[in-house]
Amino acid sequence: MIRPVGDIMMTAELSGSIDPATTPAAAPRSPEAPVIAVHGLTVSYGQRPVLRSVTFDVPAGKLVGVVGPNGAGKSTLLRALLGLIEPDSGWIRIAGRAVGQCRDRLAYVPQTEAVDWDFPVTVFDVVLMGRYGRLGWLGRPSATDCQAALRALQLVSMSEFFDRHIRQLSGGQQQRVFIARALCQEADILLLDEPFAGVDAATEQAIFALIGKLTAEGKTLIVVNHDLSVLDRFDLVMLLNQRVVAFGPTRDVVNDDNLRRTYGGRLTLLDRADTALRENQVRR
Amino acid sequence: MTFFLAQLEFDWSQVLTPLTAQWWQETACSVLVGIACGVLGCFVVLRRMALIGDALSHAVLPGVVIAFMLTGSSGIGGLFLGALLAGLVTAGLIKLVSQYSRTKEDSAIGIVFTSLFALGIILISSLSRGTHFDLKCFLFGDPLAVGRDDLVMMSVVAPLVLLTVFALYHRLKIASFDPLVAATMGISVGAIHYLLMGLLSATVVAGLKTTGVILVVAMVITPASAAYQLCNRLWSMLILAGVFGALSACAGMSLAFMTNSPTGPAMVLVATVLFALAMLLSPQHGLISRAWRRRQVRRHVDSEDCLKAVYKLDEAGTSCAAVAIARQTSLPVPRVGSMLRLLHAERLIDWKGNVAALTFAGRRRAAELVRAHRLWESYLADEAGIGMENVHQEAERLEHAHELADEVDEKLGHPRRDPHGEVIPARD
Repeated sequence: MIRPVGDIMMTAELSGSIDPATTPAAAPRSPEAPVIAVHGLTVSYGQRPVLRSVTFDVPAGKLVGVVGPNGAGKSTLLRALLGLIEPDSGWIRIAGRAVGQCRDRLAYVPQTEAVDWDFPVTVFDVVLMGRYGRLGWLGRPSATDCQAALRALQLVSMSEFFDRHIRQLSGGQQQRVFIARALCQEADILLLDEPFAGVDAATEQAIFALIGKLTAEGKTLIVVNHDLSVLDRFDLVMLLNQRVVAFGPTRDVVNDDNLRRTYGGRLTLLDRADTALRENQVRR
Repeated sequence: MTFFLAQLEFDWSQVLTPLTAQWWQETACSVLVGIACGVLGCFVVLRRMALIGDALSHAVLPGVVIAFMLTGSSGIGGLFLGALLAGLVTAGLIKLVSQYSRTKEDSAIGIVFTSLFALGIILISSLSRGTHFDLKCFLFGDPLAVGRDDLVMMSVVAPLVLLTVFALYHRLKIASFDPLVAATMGISVGAIHYLLMGLLSATVVAGLKTTGVILVVAMVITPASAAYQLCNRLWSMLILAGVFGALSACAGMSLAFMTNSPTGPAMVLVATVLFALAMLLSPQHGLISRAWRRRQVRRHVDSEDCLKAVYKLDEAGTSCAAVAIARQTSLPVPRVGSMLRLLHAERLIDWKGNVAALTFAGRRRAAELVRAHRLWESYLADEAGIGMENVHQEAERLEHAHELADEVDEKLGHPRRDPHGEVIPARD
């Protein structure tokens, strides 16, 4: 059966499942092409949807804040961007390629509470781990790798602490060490999971100063965040509660109406529909 | 305790007599087991898999029995393969149960290993009578059963474990420290998990005859935990755990021969003693050093409190006898006495008969404290918004951080008076 090509494109766009990398006639990219493109991303754990049809583009060199209530799917979004979760539907492209093909462009800075601070490693060890992705199974870090790690430590002004155990650092210093590891990966996209959780005001300032320096160098940062008071420091803000409530420049997006829609409960009808579907499945 | 030790009939003449071929064989085998268990144990401890270690050691039983049934002998090669397979099946089953049911991992481990262990026991009882399969040997270990084959196998397994850990050191490190980031780098965290499980089952089955199923997990966890108390680097922890494992095995064997007690439990007790020592004596995390640091802080605070009391009594023109200082600081009189001796040793006070008087240096230090106290009071009232009636108590604590006083002064814009209206002395 012969069908006009335009029709297929049309259907695909509507269903939101076509993948530009597999489309043969992908348009040539302009310099302003988004470095991160997410389209129709739906993720669920078991049968409980966590992200529903999330679509957004991030231009290179932007500082993006992602906010939303607990269980809004913020961490899930980061994991999906890192390629750790297989989405139910939708796709993610990093500079036009699948995540699995450009792992070295992405670096993740974990939440401080997710780190085992008693693990026997020094500051330098942690930063050097940023190079491990390049080593093979039997690889050992070379002198170049060590130099890269030291340079990354210099960038976050933590050089003098290189020999310390990670437990012997303050909250802000710990955060800086993990940012240094991400820099050591030489990634141009950094994903930070709640870097401001449990740090004091001075540390928050220091981290923002560092983040500002990184965006000035053209790196793209996505920062998951709990605190609404710092939103005006981001270039772009995403209000997330399972779906993207709003996404855009801070002054356009952050207003009472949007915040109420983000924090004022889920779309209960959608949840009820899911429950009904689940129960139907059980009954069948 | 002494009574029990006396019951053990120490026979010192036995210290050197065991140097027979059999003893050497057993000791060499146990030392190799100790080293391999200690090194692998580091990853077990750091990855919080202690329960899995226990599970593996129990669950290899059916593998061993089935191998015995198939080969009809307790030849070491067959048993080894059977145990290795059983170990990997256990690891897989645990993953399966915790993934596909709401059962949490610890319960899944409990269900899987007990059922496999039970299966093993049933299989043993179904063996025809007269077959040579000694359950007791597997449960409690029996060094007399350690033969040449075991030594040969262990001298393959132990170097293999060490070599693997050395070769994959960096992978193992990142996969244990930060599995999430390792996965984002494309490192196969799952493969490393199963590799560790495989190595662990191999080591555990080799160690079965020396310590038995029930105690072998101690050789995995205890030396590694002792090393964990003492080390801040992974490689040093691995080396030290290996040394502790070897030491426990060696000393345990000697102890067992001397007291004519079973070897496995003796090895485990030696390892536990090493762990207890590490727990008490570790320079950073040890109980003793922590108590010492607390004592130092207490002394710093109390001596400064006494110094300030002398300063205040002096200002008020009252005599600075120990009793008066005790009343001022609400410290017991003997404590005040020892603090005054300390201050005297630091040349901050002088004795005039029975009465303390500040030296020049002492007066300076006391003024510094008073300044810090009043600055902190201002800071608490102005910046932290704490009520006037509460600032004094808190400042009593904070004044001992007097090295921060200048920063507080700067922050507050060099105030002249504290919230109670008293003059804040200028910095000299």
